[in-house]
Amino acid sequence: MRDLLSYLFKRFIWMILTLLAVYTVSFVLMRAVPGNPFSGERNVPPAIERQLKARYNLDAPPIQQYFDYLGGIVTDFDLGWCMGLEDYSVNQVLAEGFPVSATLAIFALVFAIILGVTAGVISAVYRRSPADVALMAAAVLGIAIPNFVLASLAILLFVFTIQIFPAGGWGTLQQIALPAFCLGLPVAAYIARLSRAGMLETLSKDHVRTAFAKGLPKRTVILRHVLPGAMLPVVSYLGPAVARVLTGSLVLEKIFALPGLGSHFINAATQRDYTLAMGMVLTYTVLLFVMNTLVDISYAIIDPRVKLQ
Amino acid sequence: MPPEIRRGFVVFAALLTVFAVIWAARMDHIPPAEFALQNGTDPRTLDPHRATGQPESRIIFELFEGLLRMLPDGPPDPETGLQPLTPQPAMAESYEVSEDGKTYTFHLRDNIFWTDGSPVTANDFAWSWQRMLHPATACEYGYLISEVAYAEEYHNSIVNVGDHVEVELWDRPGETPSSDANIQHFPRGTMRYGTLREIVKPPRPELPEGSSDEAQESAELDWQEQWVYVVDVVPEQADGSIDWEAPASPQRFAASPAIAAADEAVERTHGVMVAFGKLGGAEAVDERTFVVRLENSVPYFLNLVAYYPLFAVNRQCIETYGAPLWTKAENIVSNGPYQLAFRRLRDRVRVEKNPLYYKADQVGMETIDFISLESQNTALNMYETGQIQWVTDLPTAVLQELKKRDDFHSAPKLSIYFYKLNTAVPPLDDVRVRQALSLALDRRQIVEEVTKAGQQPAYTVVPPGIAGYKSPQGMPENVQRAQELLAEAGFPGGRGFPKLSLMYNTSETHRPIAEVIQQQLQNNLNIKLELKNMEWGSFIETVQMEQYQMARYGWVGDYPDPNTFLDLWVTGNPQSNTNWSNPEYDRLIEAAAKELDPATRMDLLRQAESILVTELPIIPIYFYTSAEMAKQNIEGFAPSAQDLHPLQVLRYRSKPSPESKE
Repeated sequence: MRDLLSYLFKRFIWMILTLLAVYTVSFVLMRAVPGNPFSGERNVPPAIERQLKARYNLDAPPIQQYFDYLGGIVTDFDLGWCMGLEDYSVNQVLAEGFPVSATLAIFALVFAIILGVTAGVISAVYRRSPADVALMAAAVLGIAIPNFVLASLAILLFVFTIQIFPAGGWGTLQQIALPAFCLGLPVAAYIARLSRAGMLETLSKDHVRTAFAKGLPKRTVILRHVLPGAMLPVVSYLGPAVARVLTGSLVLEKIFALPGLGSHFINAATQRDYTLAMGMVLTYTVLLFVMNTLVDISYAIIDPRVKLQ
Repeated sequence: MPPEIRRGFVVFAALLTVFAVIWAARMDHIPPAEFALQNGTDPRTLDPHRATGQPESRIIFELFEGLLRMLPDGPPDPETGLQPLTPQPAMAESYEVSEDGKTYTFHLRDNIFWTDGSPVTANDFAWSWQRMLHPATACEYGYLISEVAYAEEYHNSIVNVGDHVEVELWDRPGETPSSDANIQHFPRGTMRYGTLREIVKPPRPELPEGSSDEAQESAELDWQEQWVYVVDVVPEQADGSIDWEAPASPQRFAASPAIAAADEAVERTHGVMVAFGKLGGAEAVDERTFVVRLENSVPYFLNLVAYYPLFAVNRQCIETYGAPLWTKAENIVSNGPYQLAFRRLRDRVRVEKNPLYYKADQVGMETIDFISLESQNTALNMYETGQIQWVTDLPTAVLQELKKRDDFHSAPKLSIYFYKLNTAVPPLDDVRVRQALSLALDRRQIVEEVTKAGQQPAYTVVPPGIAGYKSPQGMPENVQRAQELLAEAGFPGGRGFPKLSLMYNTSETHRPIAEVIQQQLQNNLNIKLELKNMEWGSFIETVQMEQYQMARYGWVGDYPDPNTFLDLWVTGNPQSNTNWSNPEYDRLIEAAAKELDPATRMDLLRQAESILVTELPIIPIYFYTSAEMAKQNIEGFAPSAQDLHPLQVLRYRSKPSPESKE
């Protein structure tokens, strides 16, 4: 237990340092690119531009802006008001967008794990059978096809040919199905390959041979003795998978008109919405850090050979 | 780790997953609105004084209402399909214009209410117009009503000695004499009124030669903050009026906290500005009468009054919640045909019929969804599957197919696509070169093979379709003449002509157009263009710093009058960025602004435009057309020149059955 706590503590310190670095780099980069949040086709008179800048503390010297904004984040998690979507604070944008992104990510991941593991196990158990060949060919395709192509095909098939899903929007479970499917499929393909490889490796282990020799039914051997060992690579892939699902949703959010966080990311950057862009970058940093830590911990719990350091 | 923990962990992880799925599957189902439309990017704000784009304006036009409103007038034009819209009585039931065209008197209805139940009065308009012009509101449309008496001075906070001024003391809620400003300029601090007697200015700071415009501007503003104002303060009467001649007591005011702190006699202020609200430029004579006084007559003034930045906002709501919190669905108070039900970021804005609206019984749709939908393909898919009933932006790739359908609407729009030329850069400083570039373009090829939505090739700057105005001839394509002109300018056969760079912002349509033009100039004049693609923010900045040669632009008319397309190009206009200057042009535009007779005025503008299309600081490419689709069972839908669609006139021919809505 103590090593777990000290591990968590260490990871936390690292996260703070990473966040600080990310904050600094983003702060500098954002102000280094040409343009500002208030540049539009119409020039505003200088007096008015000054008022706008004062509203967002952009009239202070950069160093002071840096510390003022950092102070706000540290003391009360206040990321400020958006400069583009001016009716919203960054915190409100995150609060509205995050549940959508999380919902999509959860469905995509659960779908990917169930489909991927099932396919991997079937392929490994019936190795070299037509089912194995078919599943692994599908997996290669799943990895190779970008998800916007997948999305177009899925829309053609499930929205227009067989009319079972709506074309886009957010609000019902039906509307989640297609984007979650398109988002999860490439991940499922990876997981299928990983679990197949893991299964094949474990199947050749001595303890498995012993289990078969004891006369245990095949089903029991696979579920009790092979699967846990075979899942290790899959668990370690979950960290990158979360990252992939979170960032991969940018494109799908656009195609399916979903109000998730992804499109804010792009729009914040193109509109020079300094505060929102910063909020997004920091949020994603925290998310990925937390997810990777969780994956590491669960890995250590499942596999006794792994020590947390 | 002991095996129990491991087993326990597996159970725990499984439970966690189940909970996560259950959490994710919880959806608050929203019944679909009666009418839904594609509204482009997510609206940036619902504040009529802060909004600039079309997605925002579509919503604001329904939530709020001005003295007048653009409404259908007569049947659509059989030729173009355009629905004529004219400014018609809205919050005002009638109005009078004085003979010299400088005084407008609006008479408000007596059955008009805000959504909180309080009556809409002339004072609301006086206050709203003042808020719109206040520099701290930073409304980008303030310039529209710069002809209203004292509006321009107020908007740009210009004061001169002798002016009647208002002084806002540094006591907005939460402010102490030495604190930072409360950026909520409404509610305001205590106001003082009086006549400005003197401005004590410290010596003007000297900036080193060659410092950037921005540094100079900023130094100038810093310097202005050091000024001390001496004002003969007069008391405000009980009824809010001011007797400027009353016995006055001189007082000193300063914006700088240091100066105010150093001298007891100097009071800290947010600013000394002309007392716009007290000088009768936009005045509530009584609860029901609103009078506007202009410095020069503005022929299109009624159109401006019907434009959303001049709509009324609720003073009490804004002063209670402040900006931008007052725009939240739970706080907002509005006066339009619809009221805000809820807003989901990047998803939709839902509005519902406002029962207190004076014409509520004539408003067609019960609820409307403005769906934030940027992708053209997605919008079309959702339209085809019945999720939305009006799609405003169609994918170019399938336009040819869609054009044949009955629910497709296309009509000329009041906007132009053009290239700006930086006339300070040789060889573009030579008018012959600019003419050659324009003459060598085959615009028909661009509209027929690239844009494909029926756009009209443009040889002039003002789009067709403005009542009473006919553009000059312009210069249609003539490759031979172009080659001659280029030779006269010293580049026979394009020899020695430097490579020009053409900038455009990232977009699916700008690039193919630029490529076609690149090809045409290469073939016709042997001129090489380098195409430069830039992301919007950088693009805007590069053009505004005038570090470009050719740049792609578009302009949408703010009001249906040639002036909105022509006054951009007068010397020194910050929107021009072309470095082009022509005194005769400036004179004509100025004369037109003062001209009372509509026909003479149009003629002056026409003369100005003919200078513009001969000198060509910009190369017009085409006039936009709208391309949109709306379900055929909707009554009252028609394209209009300004691309305005009053939604309250829409209704279904026969109510659709509930199944067909989703």
